[in-house]
Amino acid sequence: MKNTFLLLLLSGSLVTTAQQHITRAGHVHFFSSTPLEDIEAATHQMSAILDLSNGSSAGFAFQVPILSFHFEKALMEEHFNENYLESERFPRSTFEGTIENWADLPDNEEWNDVIASGTFTLHATPNSTTIQGQARKQGDSWEIRAAFDVLTADHAIKIPKLVQKQIAEQIAVTVDAQLTLR
Amino acid sequence: MQHPFRSLFFFIALFGLLSFPASSQSLLDALDSEPEVREVTATFKDTRVINMQSNETPGAGVLHFVIAHRFGRINEGAYSLWGLDNASMRMGFDYGITDRWSLGIGRSTFQKTIEASIKGKLLIQKSDNSMPVSLTYYGVTMANGLRWTDPERDNLFSSRLSYVHQLILTRKVNEKTSLAVVPSMTHRNLVSFTSQSHDQLTIGIGGRHKLTHRVSVNTEYHLPIKGLDDGTTNSLSLGVDIETGGHVFQLHVTNSQGMFERAFLTETTGRWLDGDLFFGFNLSRVFS
Repeated sequence: MKNTFLLLLLSGSLVTTAQQHITRAGHVHFFSSTPLEDIEAATHQMSAILDLSNGSSAGFAFQVPILSFHFEKALMEEHFNENYLESERFPRSTFEGTIENWADLPDNEEWNDVIASGTFTLHATPNSTTIQGQARKQGDSWEIRAAFDVLTADHAIKIPKLVQKQIAEQIAVTVDAQLTLR
Repeated sequence: MQHPFRSLFFFIALFGLLSFPASSQSLLDALDSEPEVREVTATFKDTRVINMQSNETPGAGVLHFVIAHRFGRINEGAYSLWGLDNASMRMGFDYGITDRWSLGIGRSTFQKTIEASIKGKLLIQKSDNSMPVSLTYYGVTMANGLRWTDPERDNLFSSRLSYVHQLILTRKVNEKTSLAVVPSMTHRNLVSFTSQSHDQLTIGIGGRHKLTHRVSVNTEYHLPIKGLDDGTTNSLSLGVDIETGGHVFQLHVTNSQGMFERAFLTETTGRWLDGDLFFGFNLSRVFS
């Protein structure tokens, strides 16, 4: 029996030798702006992984717990979770894709443009997308940042007519994180 | 002797070997973590179920304004438009001192009563059920503002006062359904007859069920336990909550006309079966 456990351990360790950078404290901020009202919220609980074991392209994924978004007004937060994103049923937003031009990045410690293409899932509604961002090498770790727009209509987020003038159709999202070698 | 689970362990180990590379194909799997334990929010849409208090309080720095009406008896018939000709009104302000504690004042046309109240969340339900319920305290002092019936008598201000203490036990059963059990102790300084009790005990039960994100049906019922006057009936209310952004509209039918605690807990006289009912609404708005 000892042998089988050893085998189990071994099988686990084989997989984790891949070169992966990871964070569990990435920052996400979103902003909805209309002439009537500005709504914004942020979280520092985005987890993200950058997988460089594949050579030319890099694998990239992130996951955001929706309930971790904090709003200035408690009632906005309640409505966001209860009425719009149904956070109990759909607790996470995710992105999973690849950064194709990773091998072309110059070998310096400057911000370099990257494009991640993959599937962005919000409110259990997946949507193929490309995200333009930047990456910077910092010793052993990578810093990434990106700004992109999310359309509420793409993710089946229903906004009643009564508040349509207060909630933007296009939500501006910014993401930044420091991913360390694991 | 061969261990009976040995082959099972071997099978699990083999299965682990096979499945490990497969699952690691999704980068997202590497990110999965234990869900965070949170405090359960939005058990009810408003600070009241219908008449009785829910567990909700306005958050820190939030001013919650309620304007409520109860119209006349529905069985007055067409002559008074089923009660709509006569309205009794209550205005209330509740202010969140902290996220858990709030202070309130209110004034009802019913018996010209002024209230001062305090409400606080003692326990908050947790998402992993390590705390399965929320427990909230509500205390209110009410002052009857009507002129003395006998001004010649030696009338004391303390005779105008009555008090209610409540423990509000609530549980958000699931996304849609929430329940409340509310034992209340009412004390009135002055009674009309010596046979009447100064202290009265009731237990309220209530709940809400969401039909859509913004609409729910609510109900509440108060059972007398001890000390209620002869001729009073048990308060039963049915209603609908409609949420529109910063407003909550609560529309209901109830056999209680008073909107402060002592009145609906211990002075309800309407009978549902006789159509002795009041249509009413609470309209709340938050300012922050």
